[in-house]
Amino acid sequence: MAKKKQLRLIAEMARKIRAYRELKSRLRESQKYALDYGTMRRPHTGKMLPVLAWQDVRRESRLFSLLAGMRLFGVGRLLTRKSWLEEHAEPSYWQITKVKVDYTAENLDHGKAWGILTLKGKQESEVKEVAKAMYHDWRLVPKHMEQQLKDFVPGPEPPVRYVPYPPLLRAMLLAKHKKAAGSVLAEEPVLPLKRDVLLSKDYFRSQEQEAQRTEGTAV
Amino acid sequence: MAASVWKRCVTAAVKVKCLSPSLSARRWLLSAAYTDTKVWEAREKDPQNLALLATTMDRTYDRNLPVSSLSVSRFVDNISSREEIDQAEYYLYKFRHSPNCWYLRDWTIHSWIRQCLKYGAKEKALHTVKNKVQYGIFPDDFTFNLLIDSYIKDGNFKSACSVVEEVMLQEAFDLPSTQILSLYAMGRYQATRPQLTVSEERALGASLLICGLQQDNTVGLSAQLLGNALLGKVEMSKGIHAVFRGMPLYWGHGYLGRALDVMERAAAAASGDVKLTKDAVDYTNDLLQELSSTSDSDSSGAESAGEEDEEKKEDHVDEADQAERAKLPQYVTRFKELSSQLESEGKVDSASFQDSASALAHQNLAAAEKPDLEQYLSRVQGWEADNRQLIVREKEMRMKAEQEKNERLAAKAAAQQA
Repeated sequence: MAKKKQLRLIAEMARKIRAYRELKSRLRESQKYALDYGTMRRPHTGKMLPVLAWQDVRRESRLFSLLAGMRLFGVGRLLTRKSWLEEHAEPSYWQITKVKVDYTAENLDHGKAWGILTLKGKQESEVKEVAKAMYHDWRLVPKHMEQQLKDFVPGPEPPVRYVPYPPLLRAMLLAKHKKAAGSVLAEEPVLPLKRDVLLSKDYFRSQEQEAQRTEGTAV
Repeated sequence: MAASVWKRCVTAAVKVKCLSPSLSARRWLLSAAYTDTKVWEAREKDPQNLALLATTMDRTYDRNLPVSSLSVSRFVDNISSREEIDQAEYYLYKFRHSPNCWYLRDWTIHSWIRQCLKYGAKEKALHTVKNKVQYGIFPDDFTFNLLIDSYIKDGNFKSACSVVEEVMLQEAFDLPSTQILSLYAMGRYQATRPQLTVSEERALGASLLICGLQQDNTVGLSAQLLGNALLGKVEMSKGIHAVFRGMPLYWGHGYLGRALDVMERAAAAASGDVKLTKDAVDYTNDLLQELSSTSDSDSSGAESAGEEDEEKKEDHVDEADQAERAKLPQYVTRFKELSSQLESEGKVDSASFQDSASALAHQNLAAAEKPDLEQYLSRVQGWEADNRQLIVREKEMRMKAEQEKNERLAAKAAAQQA
């Protein structure tokens, strides 16, 4: 029989103080993402950047290096990434709505930004935080090219392709159906090549619960 | 002298057009009503002791608390001498590096530029506008017009062009008056045939291109041609990344190709008004010759030079840039065809770029100024309303803070007594 848990008030207090001190000593963006361009190391962690990124780091600029030189930190402007330009043929860009700049940086070139993403021509509906703002990958879309990007209409999505199941799994499915319904399954079971569900911990948990409910034992 | 005589003769109600018989006698472009400070001086004054404001701001910064944009705007409004301009510059820098940097008001920026012009600190104004990242000075179009015009008045076309470069970096070529002023400044600067470094070429080319895109006439197209040609020259020598780094320019290769497209567009244009100035076409010609001769000498020089140097140069140049350089002979032939086509169609204007820009200014500037002035008046009224609101809000917050402080003191006193 376990002893009644003791009231450790001092430990609670210590925990709160530690949490507070951690909150207060959070690093600014400018300190976290500072970079020594000579040795390609981050002074904070001492780690080196990956070699394939070195050319980009020397040639391109961070998001806030561009935003610092713009009126109102570029709220309402469109910005692209060089990697999107190379990867996707359709235009992808962020439209900035809100900016929180790190004022301790000397050139105000670190911070967080929020905006609306348009990936491959499809615009999203919510404002999200701009991911990878500290990457040396960003390019400003000049105003005379903005309309060209916005006018792009993405083509229709190609239809979802279906593929037959692997033979053993197909046999299991047909056997299960025969056992449950009594008749032979008329249609061939097919596997869609596009998954609608986001794979996450919650999804797997819910799947397990469903499986436990329906099947008493394994097949 | 002439400027002050003009200003004394003008009242706020009367708009006086700068009519002058010859171009050389006309020393400034914007009419006196535009540059008049009457409307600005007629705002309500908020007299503050600058030393007091300065000490309050210093104390607030020391205590790590945010300074309000109202204090900064009050400081800038109440500048009364040249030394105070330097102090104001320091406080603008501090404000920009504080958590409230986003809230720097438009009227503070406008007032700062006006005060600099008033106390003869134009270089200071230019310095803060150039270092806009550090000072947070992003003037609006009216303020830019005032600044460019003051430099044109002095005949300092190099500084006028640097202001135009700042306008280009902000992409603020919305008003026709700004476009006309910038084209005029750039035309006069180009006429002096200056020796340009690569970065200056890039800046001038970019400003010419972006300004010319807004205008659809001879001057605009010639500006686009010149701009594309200059940028193409930089692209050939340094590569495309050196062209668009830090500038609002398109990252696609082939600026010289786009210059030739402009010529094609001019040749194909239906109306006879749209031409290209002769000196723009000549300049492009010279540029192409220069580039082809340097590329020839490079290829012949590389054969004689050691193999190590050749390899090193190859590493720096990208594949795409090399492909671009290989297209140079094609560009030369295409240019020859297009220029002969333009001449046969009679679309080459014999007036120089500078003269066409001045003619444009003569015709359109007065008309362009009217809506600007009206917009400015309404804007000033809006600013005054915002200013009043800010002052009221500050007073309320101060009263609330005092109330809370009194309550806390009373509670403490009561607790002590009990």
